[in-house]
Amino acid sequence: MIRVESRRRPDFLRILRLTPTTPGGVDGSAHFAVLNPNKLSIALDLSRPEGVALARRLAIAADAVAENFAPGAMARWGLDYESLVRERPDLVMISTCLNGQTGPDRAYPGFGGQGSALAGFNHLTGWPDREPVGPFGTITDSLSPRFAALLLAAALVHRRRTGAGQHIDLAQVEAGIVCLSESLLTYTANGEILTRMGNRSRHAVPHGVFRCADEDGRDRWAAIAVHDDEDWRRLAGALGHPAWTLEPVLATVDGRRRHEDEIETRLTEWTATRTAADVAAHLQAAGLDAAPVEDFGDLHDDPQLAHRRHFRTVEHDVLGTHPVETHAIRFSAMEPRIERPAPRLGADTDVVLRELLGIEAAELDRLRAAGVLE
Amino acid sequence: MTQSDGDLSGIRVLDLAAEPGFFAGKVLGDLGADVVKVEPPEGDRARRRGPFWGGVVDAERSLLWLALNTSKRGMTLALDRPRGRELFLALAERADVVLETEAPGSLAARGLGWETLHARNRRAILCSITPFGQTGPRAAWRGSDLTVVATSGNLYATGDPDRAPVRCSLPVSYYHGGLEAAVGVLFALLARDQSGEGQHVDVSLQAAMVMPSIGTAAMFRMNGQRGSRVGAFMHAGRTIQREIWPCRDGFVSFALRGGPARVPGLIAMVAYMDEHGMASARLKAIDWKSYNHNLLTQEDVDFLTREFGAFFATKTTAELYRAACERSLMLAPVNTPREITGSPQLAARGFFVDVENPGRGTLRYPGAFAVTHGARVAIRRPAPRLSSSRACASSSSAAVPPARSPPATSPTTARR
Repeated sequence: MIRVESRRRPDFLRILRLTPTTPGGVDGSAHFAVLNPNKLSIALDLSRPEGVALARRLAIAADAVAENFAPGAMARWGLDYESLVRERPDLVMISTCLNGQTGPDRAYPGFGGQGSALAGFNHLTGWPDREPVGPFGTITDSLSPRFAALLLAAALVHRRRTGAGQHIDLAQVEAGIVCLSESLLTYTANGEILTRMGNRSRHAVPHGVFRCADEDGRDRWAAIAVHDDEDWRRLAGALGHPAWTLEPVLATVDGRRRHEDEIETRLTEWTATRTAADVAAHLQAAGLDAAPVEDFGDLHDDPQLAHRRHFRTVEHDVLGTHPVETHAIRFSAMEPRIERPAPRLGADTDVVLRELLGIEAAELDRLRAAGVLE
Repeated sequence: MTQSDGDLSGIRVLDLAAEPGFFAGKVLGDLGADVVKVEPPEGDRARRRGPFWGGVVDAERSLLWLALNTSKRGMTLALDRPRGRELFLALAERADVVLETEAPGSLAARGLGWETLHARNRRAILCSITPFGQTGPRAAWRGSDLTVVATSGNLYATGDPDRAPVRCSLPVSYYHGGLEAAVGVLFALLARDQSGEGQHVDVSLQAAMVMPSIGTAAMFRMNGQRGSRVGAFMHAGRTIQREIWPCRDGFVSFALRGGPARVPGLIAMVAYMDEHGMASARLKAIDWKSYNHNLLTQEDVDFLTREFGAFFATKTTAELYRAACERSLMLAPVNTPREITGSPQLAARGFFVDVENPGRGTLRYPGAFAVTHGARVAIRRPAPRLSSSRACASSSSAAVPPARSPPATSPTTARR
């Protein structure tokens, strides 16, 4: 995995939190480091024809090309699919931006915060009596890479079988809308707009997040989902059959929905005196769907993530030892590999150009002196 | 452009998955795989859940079912009976992929687990999607969208500071996990080209929901930040900055943070406000060349928020988004399906397709999740009907509806 970067216009995450005193400068971004392990970095000046020519040779030599510039930027360099495919007939390339490569609003610039709003995720997140919020982490920024990996893998499967390449136009807003197809169809079929409903469910009552006993001065919560009437009987048993749970009206989901506020208040009285871990363990032991709400620190003590070795450790030149994530897939005969930390900007320019393009040391020196290599 | 075969044409998938796995099978089907949905004789549970098309409570009209089971054929099998199990194994012998969402060990207890499958078909790939994974201390825990998002760090950081952590009201972990599963299937297919053998692919929804916090989980070890809820705001540098802003008729997403890439949008916004006489002298005096959102004080942020907020309150979401597209303002409306289905951009790209659902009529769907020459990604057929699925189960072991059928969809406009 080779990142083609620029020192004059460094990657967004390399400078998102950059201040004049950041140790390591553009190489000191923790955010960049946790999201870019296993990659090599090459720094080219794409404002120079020789820089563009090198990028072009790399693209021709690669198995696949991925880019997320504004539509038209690659064409201005002559690095668009139509230009590259003339030299590489079986080229596999993906271009991804918010609105896609075509259409009147293709040039619209935006980040994941805008993508999440346009695709409909924000409207569906939050409390019905309050303004919407985003699911933390601008969700189109996390869905789109998974769509891109899927599309590239499918294109490689196809090329192996047929020898044919392709250009893929992934509009991040469209892919997000496809995820929310249930909401879209509810509107096109019935004219109904599904909206945010806190943690409640249209199908399960109670279905919520309940305050537990504070620990170390931190607010702690447990998530509890009672999916059907049998679950409700289990919950009543797990609470020790207090009188309020025996109300016949609560035996069915429709009855519970009519008394949802009251059920949530009663449940909170029970959870508030217990730790989140105890609530979850007790209810799981009774066969219920319940879990502690974990913050980002808790994840590093989560026994299940530890079992899957979700986090792996790398040694970074500037940041020292730090964790990175693996994907969520485990294979019976393959192991996720984290082989190197995120690269310093341009750290691998020479080795990539030498090994992939066969460029000799003297020529590398000339290109560097000419400012083509940054 | 007519619809092509798709990259996964010829790949056979048996899809046993319940709701958490619907999306995985759908994307494989949209990519051209021959996906056969295998339901219990009474039909999948999702068929009994509303909202229903036209409000008619009917197993053929659940909108969740219709939305996420496109591009699949259907059949029913009683996997709790010997005959059903034998039919399933006979089908699995000719399948490339089996997709399932049962509790870990549940298929094996019925003699349909990985060992049996692998013994019957060395090339078959079994993909299991579960809340926490196949093994480990919480593998036997029950879980669903709410509880896996709860254990991912993402829930704790979403919502208002004075209320409980809050989830998205549709199950985003099933979309994330479904995509991860489909990626896992394709990696296993690519590996099979070398090894000749299939693999068991184990996807954890909990683990799939950690990455959506975009590295924040791993960064805890560097910055000690456990996450916190700031409602319609975001932490940026030393300050808390607004992300979701009220306007005249709804809400828009707009931010002050984002590094140098954001600055041209901020300059353009001030110019836009100035045309309406709503940019103060102090706002116009800002030196944007030296602007760095990390160095803003909360007082700076509060000033900018008052200025932008007062302007947004005079404009509708539609006006602001039109201006955003024309002037590159990096602002977006908080859309509902009403705005999404009315979008000129999506119309120009032919994004929506009308899908014929036999016996029930035509329904407008979000179409392909990506555009390629020759529409290699596409909704290939409507979600299977329970009545048809039952009919083919009762005929013969190999009988599933024909792989080829007349085009089920018509793009609302031409797509590339």
